[in-house]
Amino acid sequence: MTNSINEIGEAEVILAIGSNTTEQHPLVSHQIIKAVKKGTKLIVADPRKTQVAKLAGLYMSLKPGSDVALLNGMMNYIISEGLYDKQFVETRTEGFEELKKAVSDCTPQKASEITGIPVGDIISAAKTYAGSKKSSIIYCMGVTQHVTGVDNVMSCANLAMLTGNVGKPSTGVNPLRGQSNVQGACDMGGLPNVFTGYQAVNNDELRQKFEKVWGVTLSPKPGFTATQMIECAADGRLKAMYIMGENPMVSDPDSNHTEHALKKLEFLVVQDIFLTETAKLAHVVLPGVSPAEKDGTFSNTERRVQRIRKAIDPIGNSRPDWQIICELSRQMGYKMDYASPEEIMKEIAKLTPSYGGITYSRLENGGLAWPCPTTEHPGTPYLHKDKFARGLGKFMPITYKQPAELPDGEYPFMLTTGRTGFHYHTGTMTRRVPILDREVPGSYVEISKSDATKLGIRNGAMTKVSSRRGQIVVKAKVVDTIQEGLVFIPFHFAEAAANRLTAANLDPVAKIPEYKVCAVKLERN
Amino acid sequence: MSEMKIISKGNLADFLKALNGDREVIVSSIENGTLIMGNMGSVKMETGFNGRPLIPPKEYFFPQREKIFTFNAKDPKKVDIVAHTNDAKRVIWGLRPCDLYGIKTLDEIYMSNYVDTYYKARRDNTVLMGLNCNEPCDTCFCDSTKTGPFASEAFDVMFTDLGDKYLVNIGSDKGKKAIEKGSKLFGAATDADKAKAADLEKKSKGAFKRSVRSAEAKKKLPGSWDDKLWSEESLPCILCGGCNFVCPTCHCFNIEDINEGDGVSTRVRYWDSCQLGGFTQMAAENTREHQSERLRQRIFHKCVYTPDKYNGVPGCTGCGRCIEVCPADIDITHILGRVTSK
Amino acid sequence: MTENIYAPHLITIKKIRDEAENIKTFTLEFNEPEMRKSFAYRPGQFGEVTIFGVGEAPISITSSPSMKGYLELSVAGVGKVSRAMHQKKEGDVIGFRGPYGNTFPFDEVAGKDILFVAGGIGLAPLRSLINQMFAEREKFKKISILYGCRYPKMMCFMDDLDRWGKVPNSEVLRTVDTDPEKNWCENIGVVGSLLSKINIDLKNTVAFVCGPPIMIHFVILDLLKLGFAGDKIITTMERRMECGLGKCGHCNIGEKYVCFDGPVYSYQQLKELGEEI
Repeated sequence: MTNSINEIGEAEVILAIGSNTTEQHPLVSHQIIKAVKKGTKLIVADPRKTQVAKLAGLYMSLKPGSDVALLNGMMNYIISEGLYDKQFVETRTEGFEELKKAVSDCTPQKASEITGIPVGDIISAAKTYAGSKKSSIIYCMGVTQHVTGVDNVMSCANLAMLTGNVGKPSTGVNPLRGQSNVQGACDMGGLPNVFTGYQAVNNDELRQKFEKVWGVTLSPKPGFTATQMIECAADGRLKAMYIMGENPMVSDPDSNHTEHALKKLEFLVVQDIFLTETAKLAHVVLPGVSPAEKDGTFSNTERRVQRIRKAIDPIGNSRPDWQIICELSRQMGYKMDYASPEEIMKEIAKLTPSYGGITYSRLENGGLAWPCPTTEHPGTPYLHKDKFARGLGKFMPITYKQPAELPDGEYPFMLTTGRTGFHYHTGTMTRRVPILDREVPGSYVEISKSDATKLGIRNGAMTKVSSRRGQIVVKAKVVDTIQEGLVFIPFHFAEAAANRLTAANLDPVAKIPEYKVCAVKLERN
Repeated sequence: MSEMKIISKGNLADFLKALNGDREVIVSSIENGTLIMGNMGSVKMETGFNGRPLIPPKEYFFPQREKIFTFNAKDPKKVDIVAHTNDAKRVIWGLRPCDLYGIKTLDEIYMSNYVDTYYKARRDNTVLMGLNCNEPCDTCFCDSTKTGPFASEAFDVMFTDLGDKYLVNIGSDKGKKAIEKGSKLFGAATDADKAKAADLEKKSKGAFKRSVRSAEAKKKLPGSWDDKLWSEESLPCILCGGCNFVCPTCHCFNIEDINEGDGVSTRVRYWDSCQLGGFTQMAAENTREHQSERLRQRIFHKCVYTPDKYNGVPGCTGCGRCIEVCPADIDITHILGRVTSK
Repeated sequence: MTENIYAPHLITIKKIRDEAENIKTFTLEFNEPEMRKSFAYRPGQFGEVTIFGVGEAPISITSSPSMKGYLELSVAGVGKVSRAMHQKKEGDVIGFRGPYGNTFPFDEVAGKDILFVAGGIGLAPLRSLINQMFAEREKFKKISILYGCRYPKMMCFMDDLDRWGKVPNSEVLRTVDTDPEKNWCENIGVVGSLLSKINIDLKNTVAFVCGPPIMIHFVILDLLKLGFAGDKIITTMERRMECGLGKCGHCNIGEKYVCFDGPVYSYQQLKELGEEI
């Protein structure tokens, strides 16, 4: 997030796009609810009428994958009506003319045709968002999990910069990160092209800084992303994988292909707290620990680094991940020796400017939001106050591109996948909790009333859903909150994995799969 | 009512230490800015605190998760059943009036009709020592529910903070016996002490930010059964169950058998929430399918059903925790305000 | 030391009978001699059955107090616990605690014509009452039993039904919704349709209705249309039940706990609880 969670409560306008906020980020939706009570205007864009959509003053049911069209349509109107922040654009950005050209075709009328949203609503959203200097965009997987995921995010950034809604309190472009420490994992360089703090591996000066401290030579070549690794495993380029706390057998797209790829590996090591579907394929399983059994930090979506503290000792022979990694490293010939996670943080601070001032003692009472470059620095509630990281903000000229696999004669429905409030990810932990299991014991397919009637599918009936890649049988859930022609399946349930149906169509830059769009057909089972 | 005593602030710790000889002493503490309760030996005791701990002390009588049996059915013809009751002796010091009344209500629920063995074992062996509230929190309204800010019943011993000392009121034989353990530390209360306490109570009563017309609400609630306020107020509810978990009188639980392998299983009971859909789910239907029905059930259960069924004990003790913890800003005082305004 | 209200008593499965499709009747005997002597219940009550290692579930008692020394439970294998119970063998030990709940009116309906309308496994709790009434037959006037199932393979207690029909001043009518194997010689149609085939003395009849919720719904409507008063229709309320002791909260409705104040209610009482049909 460019801004902080508690600033959302003070925004005047909130545009929530591709975020099922109340179900997935309830502490953020708490801010939204408080804000709406005080008069904040809430605009929600989502193909499903989620709970947060029901709380919105303006709800836009857009066709999955049409986010760029919506945002460009809004920007087209804002520019043509002169509603943009001219001063901000002139002094803090570059590339305005290219943006103007890129969105010039996408009038609200054109945007309406592509998105399915009424023209009046697109204009209303544009006016409302541009009409405040405290407009905040929050977005989530509905924006990122597309072949145009990067385009979608950049369009959000374009809109924010166009209206001067960045670099100020209660504004910004705010992705809601999901896993407790995904932000931290990215901050620590759990990515193929950067070291910690997003310092590029192919930047000689930065790389040499790490080489000096670590006493080794490091490759300047970016590696593979997680989704590329599966491709490489399938074609034999990748021989071995070491998977920690991830269950690609259920969470990766195109499960049949993922299974084939993982089984082709010569050596698979899985480190996890339960014997997951992926761990079952492993040659070696290393027992990791839950958050209750380890010390360390989690960095949350607002860049806040917080301490997590061990409550019980590791059970049985399981060990904290850092200890397992150090032990493996030692046995492989590179001595990694830390007395504690606190010592590791000292090294992180030394090598990572944004974490430079973070120490465990400073984290005792509530955490620090990076950038926090020195031990005197109080942390940073919002970014880009006076300038952007690169100096001027750059408008990216983006035009609408279709999703990779649209419905056709053979597979006439569009499938979008996502989560429920009661289960987390592949259900490894949550499906073992009796009450959560009671609430949502298994998978289902959400289908509109009219589609269900046409197919002769009753509520609760077992329904076969197939795609070009596989098929599953799940209970039908007839709802009035989903578009005609669209169905939704949550991906938590291994025995009826939604990802048997999805395709590994990847965003060309981020390589994120298009979990939100693929083509399926439905029939009574 | 027996005569009132006083004990100086300095002597309180010594008194509690004296009690610690033959029982566990639970006190309040502040950890990371949050008020919690814990064993005197493992937490730093706090005496000058405001408010109440977020998790109510019902935890000490009706734990979040409790193993009630172990079954050994290795030989299917000869099953061995072991019950796990906990009758460890305890004193809890610093209980707020809202929580004392909460325990009184749970006593009715758990020990009337069928007597809950597990609750009773813990309850019989615990001495309740309360601390009156000189200052209400932002979210509490115990004055409206007649369960605070000062308690006139439901305690074994009740303390009032007079500044440099506590006024001590003994409420039961159990309390009297406990005081005897440190009798040398207590002195007689003067009229001035009692007057000061009365003054503090008056001041506290005048400081509430929230209020509810409780008796009127109870009368008017049945008439609101079909009102649209239930679907309006429940719209943002995310079914987290938080309101039930932090409520001092919520008592619903789920029982689950866990297979430990080798013919051994444990029967566990743990807190459940009537705000969850599965709470009333049956094979063919769900008798409370909509969130509006579940929110209505919670409010009615607190304000109407519990006092009606259990001799007038309060279902809601005005502690305000549900308001504090709700991520959807659902506020019982606001809802009851809508009911009484009709 | 107070008795542990949650503790199951050990009970041995003496006999298992395949009652109908996916329904088995278990004959059980308490292990403890004291329990064998002292366990007493009335028709309409239920117990909480433990299948060790799996869980506990509420099951109606289908035997009658007139049957001494043993207990009968008829169970459809539709849930985790009931399916596990179906896997049990004669001689296996399971757990049982009870009896819980209120009872069907008995002495209160003496001297009346009694009309039973049952659907599917709903006949099981009524069987307890019917057998008790037949054991004290002279207390009651005409007894009519109307029983319906979806199809013939689901019919329960056929021996009892045959026997009941042969007792003087008693009649049994059976019906199925469909007859897929074409081997059914009696009525076809919903159980409510049998009401028109018998004579009912409205002023002196009490009706007992038990079965799937949707069946109860329609039968009660039929009875009301015939002129039955709300307090002359007795039925059982369906609620998710767990502890059976009025503590866990799941079956709470108004001030009542269905496991404790119910599950037997008259239609009049249901209306007062807000349970409109």
